Amino acid sequence: MDENAYEPTIIAFLCNWCTFTAADLAGTSRLTYPSNVKIVRMMCSGMVDPKYVLKSFLEGADGVLIGGCWPGDCHYINGNMKARRRVALLHEVLERFGVEKERLWLRWVAASEGNMFAETVKEMTEQLKKMGPPSTKQRAIA
Amino acid sequence: MPTITINNKAIQFEEGKTILEVARSEKIDIPTLCHNDALEPYGGCRLCIVEIMAGGPRGLKTSCTLKATDGLVVETDNERVRKSRRMTLELLLARCPNVPIIQTLARAHGVSSSRFSLDNEDCILCGQCVRVCKERMGVAAIGIFNRGAKKYVATPYQQLSEVCRSCGACASVCPTGCIDFTTFSEKTPVPLLSEWNVGTRRRKAISIAFEQAVPKTPVIDKNACVHLNTGACGICADSCVAKAINFDQQDEIESVKVGAIILATGFDPMDPTPLKEYGYGVYPNVFTNLEFERLSNATGPTGGKLLMRDADDRLKFTRPPESVAILHCIGSRDLNYHEYCSRTCCMYALKYAHLLKDKVGHQVQVYNFYIDMRCFGKGYEEFYRRIQSEGVRMIRGKAVRVTDRAQSEEEQGKLVVIAEDTLSQSLLRVPVEMVVLCTAMEPRKDAVDIARTFGISIGSDGFFLEEHPKLEPVSTATAGVFLAGACQGPKDIPDAVAQSKAAASMAQALISLGEVEVHPMVSHIDPDICIGCRVCIGLCAYGAIEFDTRRGISVVNDAVCKGCGSCAGYCPSGAAKIGHFTDKQIFAEVEGLLATGS
Amino acid sequence: MSKFATVKTNNGINRSIAELFRQMLEKQVIKAVLIPAKQPSSQMVMQTLITNPNALDTIDPFAPVSAVSSAKSAAALTNRSSGEPIAAVMRNCEIRAFIELVKLHQGSTDDLIVIGTDCLGRYENREFLKLAGEQKELTTAFLAQAAGDKRYEKVVGAEITTACKSCLYPIPKRADVNLCIVGAKPGEAIWLEAQSEKGEEALGALGLETTDEVPAGRQKAVDKLIADNSAFREKNLAAFAKKTENIDGLSAILSSCINCYNCRVACPVCYCRECVFVTDTFRHDGEQYLKWSEKRGKIKVPTDTVFYHLTRMIHMSTLCVGCGQCSSACPNDIPLSELFATVADRTQKRFEYLPGRDLQEGQPLATFHTDEFNDVTGQVK
Repeated sequence: MDENAYEPTIIAFLCNWCTFTAADLAGTSRLTYPSNVKIVRMMCSGMVDPKYVLKSFLEGADGVLIGGCWPGDCHYINGNMKARRRVALLHEVLERFGVEKERLWLRWVAASEGNMFAETVKEMTEQLKKMGPPSTKQRAIA
Repeated sequence: MPTITINNKAIQFEEGKTILEVARSEKIDIPTLCHNDALEPYGGCRLCIVEIMAGGPRGLKTSCTLKATDGLVVETDNERVRKSRRMTLELLLARCPNVPIIQTLARAHGVSSSRFSLDNEDCILCGQCVRVCKERMGVAAIGIFNRGAKKYVATPYQQLSEVCRSCGACASVCPTGCIDFTTFSEKTPVPLLSEWNVGTRRRKAISIAFEQAVPKTPVIDKNACVHLNTGACGICADSCVAKAINFDQQDEIESVKVGAIILATGFDPMDPTPLKEYGYGVYPNVFTNLEFERLSNATGPTGGKLLMRDADDRLKFTRPPESVAILHCIGSRDLNYHEYCSRTCCMYALKYAHLLKDKVGHQVQVYNFYIDMRCFGKGYEEFYRRIQSEGVRMIRGKAVRVTDRAQSEEEQGKLVVIAEDTLSQSLLRVPVEMVVLCTAMEPRKDAVDIARTFGISIGSDGFFLEEHPKLEPVSTATAGVFLAGACQGPKDIPDAVAQSKAAASMAQALISLGEVEVHPMVSHIDPDICIGCRVCIGLCAYGAIEFDTRRGISVVNDAVCKGCGSCAGYCPSGAAKIGHFTDKQIFAEVEGLLATGS
Repeated sequence: MSKFATVKTNNGINRSIAELFRQMLEKQVIKAVLIPAKQPSSQMVMQTLITNPNALDTIDPFAPVSAVSSAKSAAALTNRSSGEPIAAVMRNCEIRAFIELVKLHQGSTDDLIVIGTDCLGRYENREFLKLAGEQKELTTAFLAQAAGDKRYEKVVGAEITTACKSCLYPIPKRADVNLCIVGAKPGEAIWLEAQSEKGEEALGALGLETTDEVPAGRQKAVDKLIADNSAFREKNLAAFAKKTENIDGLSAILSSCINCYNCRVACPVCYCRECVFVTDTFRHDGEQYLKWSEKRGKIKVPTDTVFYHLTRMIHMSTLCVGCGQCSSACPNDIPLSELFATVADRTQKRFEYLPGRDLQEGQPLATFHTDEFNDVTGQVK
């Protein structure tokens, strides 16, 4: 394998009750998925302040994944609905400056969907590899 | 109190009662065919005739219509009375020689045959059907037409009735069972089937769910009750001695404050109708596991006898089967339906085999078609061996089809189970008389709604998800909500009991403390930074944030806050923060994760 | 349906308007009026709260300057209201921002009569002071020039701000009463337009005759003004967006930012008591700065500049009314209003939200529904 091959880094903000548990399940089920994903546990996708996403990109992340519960299944009733609007807003602002929508994913992954979590990470990693580094990569956060 | 003398016995009575009522209250038997407590006195059948000896106009009178009066002397069973009744019965016997109730009464009065030319009617013209329809149901869909020997009960002009509601009151009061409202009603009646008996028998619009129900009180099916739907009938209320029936009762939603909740909502048995290959609903003698359980139950439709269904009437049971196939894993361990094992079928299938041998007799042929036998519990394997020693045939291979198309003489008129015997690697055709489908245990239909109501998760199998499969098997993602039994996943009785006791202990442990530990991940709003825009209040799903008008800022109630961070995720000034999830902490995490770069 | 009344301005536009407010103050329709007025011993025009009917002589509501967005001033007056009725004279961008502030509970319309003014744009403060020093009747000249009066063609030389030239909403729609000059001859007469019931009551109190008919020539003039602004906006923003289409372009125009946060102080909808970027969250340890530098080899100080501007776009772009105060406030002439306009165009379109359109309309981040934005995840269960 080429040591210099581009390996994107994904910061994943995962809801404690669904996607984080799904990641756990993927682990206990011995499913393999790319190590490109770095997980930050949140209590709810609705807790993800858009600042965290901006920070991740400015700090050099190639992609950001936010994992929340399926609509209607939110542990906190509707935190995921708020997350969805914030991501819609982030998409508009980031894309205005050339950070493509495809680098910021919001996905619904239920606690039981360990397989889907692994698949999502695989898919996102593949996509980011194809896209190459973002324009924010390793930029001094000035 | 007024006094009447019946058969030389002085009886005190309440004003307004008929002689029949007074006599019956003293357990003096007076035969009658047309009397019904729910209906007005009729005096039609003339069997309740008694002789007034003194105290009033003497002679033979119908006791159902004559009011008791003070000083009346009555005889109910003297020769004159008997002679009159014999005559009446002889005439009835001539009209309805084959009606059992007439035959019984005639025999009891020493009438064995009739001197009159025999007719062959079922209707004894008691008029109960006509009266109940008019008096209680307020419909009068049927009436008595013609006179004398030509009398008959029918709808006007013998046309299909458009006013008949097909309530079935006429059939229910008919002493001979000769009235069939389906023949004259425009409406197609929908039979009320007993839910408890999974539709194997009927129930009434007012019924007790099952014999061991607690509390053992009847309930009214408000969709079927004639009174609740039309205001008519009300017979149950009139006949209830305790006057316990209250039609004005309404469904009520009661709020109960509790410190812990245990969800024990159970499972649904899978409906095997979509699995067309097994012919459920097509062949009368393909049963589900639960239907078979009801058959074997002493309070079930057959009183505990294992009988086959009548080919034409699903609610009628005839004779015991000579051969039975029990098909395991119907809908379980099947990628097309449920991937999981329902865990209980192997053992109850063995139980069924045993019950068949026990109740029907050793000659009954019992076949078990299984994928794997999973007899993992205490004493289970031993039971399996015992069943095998009882002569039950165990066939390792899932049945693929049930058909009634015979290919040989032996299969004629039987159900043929087609399966591969994986041990002998041969295709089998096994003709049997009865098939029992061991259907999968499924999540309740409304499990998703319940999960949302209580804020818990659902697993990929559709059952409620425990907090942790090994370490927290009874708690859920929501603090104070616990799981017990099959709502969490298929399990048998010992497992369900064990889990229930664990859940009860968890609930007790929580509520006996008298206080709740609040986790530190709750929101806090910095009063020096908050400017009181109140957006967080609108976003909070729990109403945990209040506006302090005096200070002009929003304030979090720690005990109500669940720490979801909806407020912190919005607050542009960062005044709202979640403990252990502050901006600084998250930034540090992100920086740490991206420290090495790539 | 709005109603129009005509007010003669033969004696000068400011005097005619002063007369209207004098009557309102005397008849106690209002207790005070917040209105742009010349400051003592200066040519500067600032929002002034006037209670004395005889102190209206210095008012200049159409002066082409707005040193501070009066949305914030009106919010300050009504946030904890005195309970007394007040009139506030504002441009449309200020009214729209004020409506957003009311949604955020920073102000209230309860005791306020909003008096709108048709806006032909404003000069930067420096330009205004310079021009006002050179020219006594600057406002009269400015309005006459805008109305196409040939006599004033050369008088006013400077250009109004880029934000004003790009303004798509120069005419108030959600005021109580609007002072209309577009389409009018400011030297002869202007129109008062009642845009609400409260406004109709106010005109009634002044004993003015009203008509449902839109004054002749107004609609055409309004359409032309908006069409001109729109054309300028499109051209200008397209060029700007091209220049900043990636993070490099953004960094380039923000390179002279000194993290003074003047833009956010001047912004009428940036309503925080304290910006999160001046809180402890962004006070870093020395070690942290070194780490950042080590990771990249070098780092500009002060840090967090792009982060700050991006965050402000997240927080405020959906509410941006395009008033241009951010650009005016920037000491280093960073074209912030263009930056925000290009972002706001996208974000406001995404949420189908127009700030200041309707007081009842929930702000994009303060509301949410179950079945919406399904394209964000693209997942359907």
